[in-house]
Amino acid sequence: MSQSAGLSKTGVIKKQSHKQRQSNVMRNIVLLGIIVGVILPMIPQLLWSFSFRWYFPSLLPTELSSRAWVYVANPNSKILESFIVSLIIALSVTAIGIVVGVPAGKALGMYKFRGKELIELIILAPTIVPGLAVIMGIQILFIRFGLSDNIVGVIIVHLLPSLPYMIISMAGVFANYDPQFEEQARSLGANAIKTFYYITLPVIFPGIVVGAMFTFLISWSQYILTIMVGGGRVITLPVLLFSFAGSGDNAIASALSIIFVLPAIVILIVTSKYLSGKSGGMGGFGSI
Amino acid sequence: MKKHLFSVLVLILTITTLSVWSASQAEAGDKFEDRFQKMSWNGIVAEAKGQDVYFYMWGGSDVINNWVNGFYASRLKSKYGVTIEMVPITGAQVYVNKVLSEKQAGKNTRGAVDLMWINGENFKTMRQGNLLFGPYAHRLPNMKYLDASDPAFQYDFGYPVEGYESPYGAAQMVMIYDQARIENPPTSIKALIQWIKTNPGKFTYPAPPDFTGSAFVRHFFYYVAGGPSSLMGAFDQAKFDEVSAKFYKLMNELEPYLWRKGTTYPEDITKLNELFANGEVLLNFNYSPGDAASKVAAGKYPDSVRTFVFDGGTIGNINYLAIPFNSSAKAAAMVACNEMLSPEVQYSMAAVRNNWPLVVNVEKLPTEWKNKVNNIKRHPSVLSGEVLSTHQLPELMADWLVAIEKGWQKNVLEK
Repeated sequence: MSQSAGLSKTGVIKKQSHKQRQSNVMRNIVLLGIIVGVILPMIPQLLWSFSFRWYFPSLLPTELSSRAWVYVANPNSKILESFIVSLIIALSVTAIGIVVGVPAGKALGMYKFRGKELIELIILAPTIVPGLAVIMGIQILFIRFGLSDNIVGVIIVHLLPSLPYMIISMAGVFANYDPQFEEQARSLGANAIKTFYYITLPVIFPGIVVGAMFTFLISWSQYILTIMVGGGRVITLPVLLFSFAGSGDNAIASALSIIFVLPAIVILIVTSKYLSGKSGGMGGFGSI
Repeated sequence: MKKHLFSVLVLILTITTLSVWSASQAEAGDKFEDRFQKMSWNGIVAEAKGQDVYFYMWGGSDVINNWVNGFYASRLKSKYGVTIEMVPITGAQVYVNKVLSEKQAGKNTRGAVDLMWINGENFKTMRQGNLLFGPYAHRLPNMKYLDASDPAFQYDFGYPVEGYESPYGAAQMVMIYDQARIENPPTSIKALIQWIKTNPGKFTYPAPPDFTGSAFVRHFFYYVAGGPSSLMGAFDQAKFDEVSAKFYKLMNELEPYLWRKGTTYPEDITKLNELFANGEVLLNFNYSPGDAASKVAAGKYPDSVRTFVFDGGTIGNINYLAIPFNSSAKAAAMVACNEMLSPEVQYSMAAVRNNWPLVVNVEKLPTEWKNKVNNIKRHPSVLSGEVLSTHQLPELMADWLVAIEKGWQKNVLEK
């Protein structure tokens, strides 16, 4: 190894480590943002869930009680049961969302074809039209197709509001995607599966994570679509949460809220490292 | 060739249509609603065995949810083999919409809803839309514990019940105060008007059409009308105009003495409960006489909270259970309705559910259960059934309610 080459290399490394430091600072700021924005608002919720007597103007509850959490654990409340039902539905919606959304996003992001604007509009429509306005029509269709009152129907109806987010995320990723990497891999002898696994997937993975997060959370928080199509056969966590939210029982509503946001926080922490979107195959999120 | 294909298609279509039609005909002959009037009660109980009942009800109370999913469900399961699946909802519009869209979609059997907690406007809507099964209430053996001839059970907010719903529980407005803050609460509307004026900013009510706020202002409407008797029956525009003029005048006269000088009103009873719990206002009220006790138990109100009724009485009503036209578990739903009126269940309701006022006449219960009900330990804030029933005023017909609510908004809120 020659001295001059080493020097120039060190120069590059130094530059990189400076960049690294900058991104570390950025990362800490983002982490702080997550803590302030996500964890901090949960503290009053936690206090409320244990509060027994808490009147204005006391800053803290004057008496504490585990009443709300005892109710959560009581099988008669069906809260843990509904948590599992919600999880199964949201995970299924996410899985289907990925399978449908990645190819759809690729088509919209990379190719030009006739009627593309119209298709984009149709895909975006569920995010523009409020669900409540179309629920009656949806419900009648689902009843006719025999999809009413079961979990399959609920999964399908959850895809309506959540799929656009998956497709838009993936369209953004593919708009900035450089297909030449795939061509290079193919010219070096990789087959289609290998090319997808070693080239395409790593490049679009952060986009999939973002899209999947949206999809999961939108399915997770559905209320009116679940109650209308699920018809009481499918009881999810929001169904229970909403019936307490308006009742003035702040302790139980708060305990349920904490359980409700738990998956969101877990997902955010687990996936936060994919959210920077730095990858050789693309320049950013493009036209989201 | 093409012509051939067409006629084959027509043939296939005809056969399919005919077979579907005949299948539905066969089903029609076997429908429970066509048979049950001739069946014995034991026959209905036998048919109910193994059926699942999806019970749509307001799910905002841990005490009631726990009771339905626990005591009530396990009792029906062990006694009749009927499974109760509670569906907690935020309001009646959920099941009204659900059953309505099932009817529109032609789903006349195997509907999602089997049993509903209902009354008033929603009962009227569903009844007028032919969405209810019945008449069935007269077939329930436990109706014998009720004073069935009492007009309170004949009309639900003025709309004839006619056996399309069966009684579940009673409700009556009570006034709520904290005896640590007020010694002598005003026990008549006249005294209350005086009290509001001498304690400015310490009273308010939820803006109608909030259910509780609307019921509360009706007491003032009765007061200026000189009692409810002249307001009973169908809506009378001339009478309404006469009484409402005095009503608006009184409410506007009180407005500057209300919380925040009446510039704003709590949007619902939950907000008023919050104001009362925090001591911002000193009087509250609720349509459920046991609500204050359950709020004490839940730590929302201090232990020194008490309730009272006006000397001239407070408005009460009955809430009901009803079965949709397309339920596939009508026999089991009828059994569930009947069981709700059994002495054991009524006792449990009164004992566990913060002294829910009962629809049964306690005097008609078997002695053992009569004694048990009479010996239930009540929280000091809960009035006895006797005090409540001797101070009860009837509800108005729904048309009156709507007219008062709209009139209040136009002539009090927006003035």
